[in-house]
Amino acid sequence: MELERFLFLTVDGLARGAVLAVFALSLVLIWRAARIINFSQGAIAMAATYLAFVVTSATGNYWLGLVAALLGGAAIGFVVERGVMRYVSSVNPLNSVIAALGVLLVIQAIIGMLFGNGYHPMQVPFSQSPLPWLAGLSISAYDLFVFACVGFVVIGLAVLFGKTNVGLRMRAAAFSPELARLLGVRSNRMITLGWMLASALSALAALLVVPTELGLNPHSTDAVFVYAFTIAVVGGLDSAPGAVVGGLVVGVLLSWVSGYLGATLSPVAVLVLLLAVLLIKPGGIFSVTKERTA
Amino acid sequence: MTLKRNRAFAVVGAASVLALAACSSPGGGGGDAQDVPGVTEDKIVIGTHQPLTGPAAAGFSSISAATSAYFDYINDNGGINGREIEFIVKDDGYNPANTQTVVRDLVLQEEVFAILGGLGTPTHSAVIDFLNENEVPDLFVSGGSPMWDQPEKYPWTFGYNSEYIAEAAILAHYAQTEMPDGTYCMFGQDDDFGDDFEKGALEILGADGLAASERYSVANQDVTAQISALKAANCDVVFLASINGFTALAVGTAAQLGFFPQWMATSAGGDYGTLEKDYLQENAPLLLENFISTFYLSLETNQDDPWIEHFQMVQDEYNGGGEIGGNDIFGMNMAYMFAEALAAAGDNPTRESIVEAIESGAVKGSGLVPLGYSPEDHTGNTGVQLSQVKSGVQAYFGAPYVYENGEVTEYTGGQVPFENGIPGSN
Repeated sequence: MELERFLFLTVDGLARGAVLAVFALSLVLIWRAARIINFSQGAIAMAATYLAFVVTSATGNYWLGLVAALLGGAAIGFVVERGVMRYVSSVNPLNSVIAALGVLLVIQAIIGMLFGNGYHPMQVPFSQSPLPWLAGLSISAYDLFVFACVGFVVIGLAVLFGKTNVGLRMRAAAFSPELARLLGVRSNRMITLGWMLASALSALAALLVVPTELGLNPHSTDAVFVYAFTIAVVGGLDSAPGAVVGGLVVGVLLSWVSGYLGATLSPVAVLVLLLAVLLIKPGGIFSVTKERTA
Repeated sequence: MTLKRNRAFAVVGAASVLALAACSSPGGGGGDAQDVPGVTEDKIVIGTHQPLTGPAAAGFSSISAATSAYFDYINDNGGINGREIEFIVKDDGYNPANTQTVVRDLVLQEEVFAILGGLGTPTHSAVIDFLNENEVPDLFVSGGSPMWDQPEKYPWTFGYNSEYIAEAAILAHYAQTEMPDGTYCMFGQDDDFGDDFEKGALEILGADGLAASERYSVANQDVTAQISALKAANCDVVFLASINGFTALAVGTAAQLGFFPQWMATSAGGDYGTLEKDYLQENAPLLLENFISTFYLSLETNQDDPWIEHFQMVQDEYNGGGEIGGNDIFGMNMAYMFAEALAAAGDNPTRESIVEAIESGAVKGSGLVPLGYSPEDHTGNTGVQLSQVKSGVQAYFGAPYVYENGEVTEYTGGQVPFENGIPGSN
């Protein structure tokens, strides 16, 4: 009985952690591409998810909604970067944080005006009930779909940044825009591309996570963003595998604390973990090089 | 965390700008002979704090709109004792820090006569001391906490909802009668809401009457760990001391886990219309079949109920039409009760005279059970009636019950009859 409960909580935590990991990956991506922690990422993802919701409601097709969220996320990322973030002075890193928070408030307000403050339940393509052939555990077909998405994204990012020219240019532009430009990299374009990719990825993450919570709402990515931010920091902002492992660790931690100590304590536990990592290993558990700044 | 803090700063900042703007604009009540704040020859100004934005806005933001609509209806028909009622609604986003800012603004800058229907236990408990120190009538607080009923400590505060303890006792009494051999469990909020409910349930069921009692946190929307524990405890009945969003999460998560107990929810999280419209939508009829809940006012499904016909008329003419729901009835009944109190407070109402009028029993409302108001008692509705959902229709069954001195008894006095939508006029 006790073992069964332990397994249930662990597996449930892994499933939830996988979704959070996708979101954390988008923060890692934008960090690698633009050296910024994007506090408007949650709102961009939420807005793109509304787009998916509208498309799926109109067509009845989940996959068209998914495509709309990815394209919409990329488009919003493009607009935010070209319209706002590009003009923010990079002298002080705090400037871009404040500007991103401004973008967050504007997007939430616009979505609230357009769609209201109610919750919209989201459709999922696969059942969220535990699969019968995994009796006792709480893995659903939907969880497997999420695991597949995480795997696809991790491999995709590894290939992009490790094996392709574009990835190399993106890294160069983020690391040293001036030097990269001298060497023929169109740094501004690379940074915009990074924003579009990261926004599309966060849109995918929001699309995956919203159906596991209350439903779509202008605030539905708030808590997820805080968790994902913690995961990205725990894993090391520069490390994609770190974000995935961090996501699974945080997911299991949330589930254990909620199951054994009470739901009240699980958000607190995440913040304690964040604090501990920042004090003990500020670069994140998976950081290999000393943290770089732009 | 940074995110939340920064947003809080932004909201407080915006609120201060509004406060400055209010300073520079002329008016603000006063100016007549008797010098009662918010009262002039032809107008009376009152205010409230409500969650119009933020996570709690879903399901609650329609309440103050309904209250405003009812005041518009009263004003179009001559007001109360010749005065129009102006109702200022301030958004606190369900954040107690904002509640303090907006209520101070209402009392000190807008100089309102009274606060009506301030919504939420965590939010309103942040301003109850301020209102009582300043001797501002704090009428009909929206929340089932017993805190509002302390006439010695808070003489200016009056409750409205039935108390969670009473709702719990009445639900437990019903469960015990109908399913005497059942395993009873509860799923509740991790604050006074859950604690008060558990107290009331255990009063009836006995100290070991709950096989499992799980708590959720509003900050954590993953309730799988809690619901799976209830499933493992083989619960037949699960009492829900939850707000609407977490009622929806509980029934949805349970269905995913293949767990289908008899749900019994409080009036704070059991309105079918809200659960369907704001959360579950097309899944609502299936997930909520046989769902039992409580309420103390008319339900829109009541047949030939003159109160419903009347409120629907106000809804059509002053609140944008559409079928009336539980929140609209809640908000309109509140406006009606304030109008009753004001009518009874005399031609020259003062803050003292309106409190005396309420304590004298002049306010009846439109409820199914009596209001508790007297000099010794500031409880609002003293009980509830149970309703059940069948094929997507929530309707009352059985008799209303009241809970007094640790006992659940049937109330046979009947609903307050409808006479006139505007108290004091004939």
